[in-house]
Amino acid sequence: MTSMVAEREERAAAEASAWLARLQRAELTEADGLEFDAWLAAAPDNRAAYQRALSAWHEFEARADDVLAEITAPMRRAANRNMPMRRWVIVGAGGFAAAAAVAMTVLPSLMVPATVQTYVTGKGQHRRVTLADGSVVDLNAETRLTVRLARSERQVTLGDGEAIFDVTHDKHRPFTVAASDRVVRVVGTQFDVKNRQGDLMVTVARGKVQVRPTDAARSGRAFLLTPGQRLEVAPGGAEQLKAVDPQETFSWRAGRLVYRNQPLADVVADLNRQFVQQTEIGDPELAKIPITGVIVLDNPEAVVARLSLMLPVKSVPSERGLLLLRK
Amino acid sequence: MKRGNAVAPSGPSGRADIESPLLGAFFEKRQDLVLFLAARTRSMESAEDLVQDLYLKLHSMEPGADVRAPVALLYRMAANLLVDQARSAQRSGRRNAQWRLETRVIMGGEDVVSEPAADEALAQKQRTRLLAEAVSALPPKMGQAFRLHKLEGLSQAQTAQAMGVSVKMVEQHIAAAIKNLTQRLRA
Repeated sequence: MTSMVAEREERAAAEASAWLARLQRAELTEADGLEFDAWLAAAPDNRAAYQRALSAWHEFEARADDVLAEITAPMRRAANRNMPMRRWVIVGAGGFAAAAAVAMTVLPSLMVPATVQTYVTGKGQHRRVTLADGSVVDLNAETRLTVRLARSERQVTLGDGEAIFDVTHDKHRPFTVAASDRVVRVVGTQFDVKNRQGDLMVTVARGKVQVRPTDAARSGRAFLLTPGQRLEVAPGGAEQLKAVDPQETFSWRAGRLVYRNQPLADVVADLNRQFVQQTEIGDPELAKIPITGVIVLDNPEAVVARLSLMLPVKSVPSERGLLLLRK
Repeated sequence: MKRGNAVAPSGPSGRADIESPLLGAFFEKRQDLVLFLAARTRSMESAEDLVQDLYLKLHSMEPGADVRAPVALLYRMAANLLVDQARSAQRSGRRNAQWRLETRVIMGGEDVVSEPAADEALAQKQRTRLLAEAVSALPPKMGQAFRLHKLEGLSQAQTAQAMGVSVKMVEQHIAAAIKNLTQRLRA
């Protein structure tokens, strides 16, 4: 008798978990809802089992970051001991370097020997990662990147962020970077992928790079990029091929940002990724002023001081950092 | 789930409300809709808020509309609410919680963080450790899927891509992880 109850509860728990997982699908329809509704009513244990699963699910939701930190903490200590390959590129000096040292986050994604790793940088962090195949990836600030190395392929998924890839040649193991709704495919080369707020840019310094839409992309065609070329894909899918100096695009790695006729708003958005201290523009007209020049990333005050030599702006301290106003 | 009982379904204040078959179906299915929505919200409270939004939407609909399948319509509206919610949450979501530093208030050059009382903090820490141990004890693939999807906030499709498996497989891993973790936390 007891075993029958246990069996019934076990089945309800399995079904409840399957339902909770199914309801995480990207697309939910009324059919999902009606089936769920029917399942809830189908057996008296179902509702309670689902509520128990839901309660655990919500607890993980509420504590996701703390749990993640707790899981990665012992690994991080082990990684610091065993992995001399984890090198840090700290660009600039003074405040910037200090910020970079404070804000580090490392999220290797597996407890067991990893085939998949996630790398995350925060504000003001630059990070150099050497992959097991010898390829080197430089992550710009506020970048999330997942690497999966398999026998027949090397796959990188770039979330929001920017990275420079220096890929070791291996014609049997193509290297792909998925970003936005495009896939960048290479054999061995050096290129930069920037994926910020839906704007995608791929810039090639060496070798050849193929960019094609993923199956999920609504539009677009394949491009083969050669050194000095940049493909820009706007959020609406509009593609533009440009000739650029790749070293300008790669300059963030050396602690410099290069701009050609870009609005101040873009410059400030970049600065706010590079420094913990945040800069705000106090005047919408100011945000539109075009900037051409090189900005050396040492510390936010010095950067803003130099900006005020180039532009009719002055800065005042604000709650979060600096506020830019018209002079 | 004790809260479920604590929050009584806010039924119609007067019987007049029930004249509409759609509203009648809503009050009958209200708790089921909350459970459906709660699969995708951060808490039961947020699910209750969403069901309240749904109720307001019902009131703004054509009063005389001929609704053949009221329950189907309710679930369709609920599913749409989740899509809208996901879209607005995408921008502000907790995904950037990694940069916890920026959420601190910097005042006069010093970090000001509100600290909970010491014993409360200890209890929280122990609970966090328990949850972390439960995740670490999952079989590797299951644990990885749960971690990427639930803790790091990747969608099922992104998790599938990162792990190099099908979306279907990710859903199965997540289901198995939920069952395992729910039973472990209950014990």
